[in-house]
Amino acid sequence: MVSRSRLRNRFWFLGGVLAVLAGAALLIALWPYSGQQPAPAAAELSENSSPDHLVGSFSTIVDEQGEVLSMMARTVFAGDELYTCEGRIYRIENVEGDRAEAKFVGMDPQIVAYQEFYAEQSVPVSTAELAQQGKGSLAVYHTHTDESYVPSDGKESIPFKGGIYQVGKAMVDKLKGKGAQVHYDETPHDPHDNNAYTRSRRTAVNLLKNKPAAIFDVHRDGVPDPNYYRATIDGQNVARLRLVVGRENPGMSANMDFARRMMTAANNLHGNVVKEIFVGKGDYNQDLMPTALLIEAGTHTNTKEEAARGIAMFTEALPTVLGLSAAPVAPAAPATPEEPGAGRAAGRGPWKALGWILGVTIIGGLAFLLVSSGSWENFKRRLTGFGSELTSFMGPGKILRKVFRKQGDTNNPEANAILREEKDDLTKD
Amino acid sequence: MERFPVGIIILIIVSILIYLGLAQRALDRMRLSDRGALVVIAAIILGSFINIPLPFLPFTTSVNVGGALVPVGLAVYLLKRAGTAREWARALGGAVLTAVVVYVVGSLINTGTTIEPAGRYAFIDAIYLYPLVGGIVAYLIGRSRRAAFIAATLGVLLVDVFHYFWLLNQGAPQNYAVAVGGAGAFDTIVLAGIFAILLAELVGESLERLAGGPRAEGRPLELLKALKKPELNRPGEQGEGSTGRDRNNVDEKKAGELGEQE
Repeated sequence: MVSRSRLRNRFWFLGGVLAVLAGAALLIALWPYSGQQPAPAAAELSENSSPDHLVGSFSTIVDEQGEVLSMMARTVFAGDELYTCEGRIYRIENVEGDRAEAKFVGMDPQIVAYQEFYAEQSVPVSTAELAQQGKGSLAVYHTHTDESYVPSDGKESIPFKGGIYQVGKAMVDKLKGKGAQVHYDETPHDPHDNNAYTRSRRTAVNLLKNKPAAIFDVHRDGVPDPNYYRATIDGQNVARLRLVVGRENPGMSANMDFARRMMTAANNLHGNVVKEIFVGKGDYNQDLMPTALLIEAGTHTNTKEEAARGIAMFTEALPTVLGLSAAPVAPAAPATPEEPGAGRAAGRGPWKALGWILGVTIIGGLAFLLVSSGSWENFKRRLTGFGSELTSFMGPGKILRKVFRKQGDTNNPEANAILREEKDDLTKD
Repeated sequence: MERFPVGIIILIIVSILIYLGLAQRALDRMRLSDRGALVVIAAIILGSFINIPLPFLPFTTSVNVGGALVPVGLAVYLLKRAGTAREWARALGGAVLTAVVVYVVGSLINTGTTIEPAGRYAFIDAIYLYPLVGGIVAYLIGRSRRAAFIAATLGVLLVDVFHYFWLLNQGAPQNYAVAVGGAGAFDTIVLAGIFAILLAELVGESLERLAGGPRAEGRPLELLKALKKPELNRPGEQGEGSTGRDRNNVDEKKAGELGEQE
């Protein structure tokens, strides 16, 4: 045991360090433009002028032959996955600096099945049907509300009122124009940092109170090359999209399933308007709902109009995906085909997620029980006691209390202690 | 909800049940009874639907009952029950340190206007960063579940306070909504508190098991007595200072081996 004076010294030392750290953090927080990097001129975009903020820095994902698969302004990690619009799955194996090498894993059977299914649907289901059937609403918000498009907004970042709002609005207008009910939350979550997700979580939960059928967090990417996203689809210049699914979400399989359906349905309507699905580290508040999705609409060097057109095309696929495919279609249209993988696979994602969650809970619980029991015997004893815990949350206490009441001594501390002890044995761990 | 397939509905229900069940078990491991923990969970759920606007503050500021007042109230209650100044200092120091680390990692390092999801080193989502930091800090400082809960919940609150100063400093528009604990039961304040307890418990228990239990030599006699004896909490004798250990959840076998865990 350390002596009292040494403890006191240690305490004061720690207190001092904490006070200095807290003061420093507050100073930095109050420093002008601390969290918000001033937007650089377009010419500076590719310069690494500030190593902390890595303006213009991005990761390039290449396949085993060195062909570029994707570029994204995010740090990628081994284990992240890329699902191309054709349904090819690549898993990142090595990351060296800004270059990541990915291995082709195979074709995604579900994406292939969805492709076949949606290809047979020649008439998209109208959004008005969604509203008429009273089948809920949709929700849209932005976590990084400063995100802007340099050619249209002059800057890549406009604090509190970025150009991304107009892109979100393009999505909302498209839906509203077709009669759907949309809840668009324009709450700013600046600054543009990782903690923005904890702030936008509050907005997302608030939106969920309207029971939306799906919830979208609209962003833009930050790769410097606008041509990476630029395309001509149906005669229009658009910025294509990336869907992002966070793999730190325990129910990720369900969100992934929704992303697959959205990508294939949208690409079926408007030739590959969704470039890819990226499955990376993070949660992006997707744990809140199985149909929560993060969309990256082009990059900051695309025009806002390109991004808005791209997201509007994507939006047209929403009613088809959100369970309306079974709704009666126009008489001229061919009969709605049975969803091949869709019917089954639509259920597979959530079931898989459920399996994961239950599996992790059970294995985690057992591991914890083993650790906290200290020995195999204790572990077994507690495990067998677990069943009785469920049936005797109140039971053993009542029985024992009766015993002691018979003895006429309900306030006996010893008796109460035994009661507690028994209850602890049964209900703890 | 009729538009969702059965799988999704079951997924949502089971996830919420497991989350709340885990929360109840976690709270139960602090100085709360089974029923006390249930009451707290109920208060968090019901309170999630209540937002109290604070019109006298700048911006559109509000505080959620379930997401902020109940967990922070519980943290303050636990602090109040802590007894000694040292426990107070450890818990509050843990909260400040958690807030500083989370702020530095989440807002200063992981930032950048063209880096998604904001930050070069954002390998862990913010919702996990808080409990991770809170749990580790609390374990290092106090080796205590309660300190972990206090550090994580008050830590998140402090980050909100830092952020508030940032908004004032930047001249954010008046319509900027600051909803402290606005996500209710799913707010980072609640999540952080619960996972920090579990982490402190798991890390603490594992480490001490690996180390073969607490050292006995050189410890004060009263501590050793308490370690060996499965004496349960008696009102008035639960001081944190001398033995400093919450015996509420420790059975006879564990008491002999656990020692520092609270």
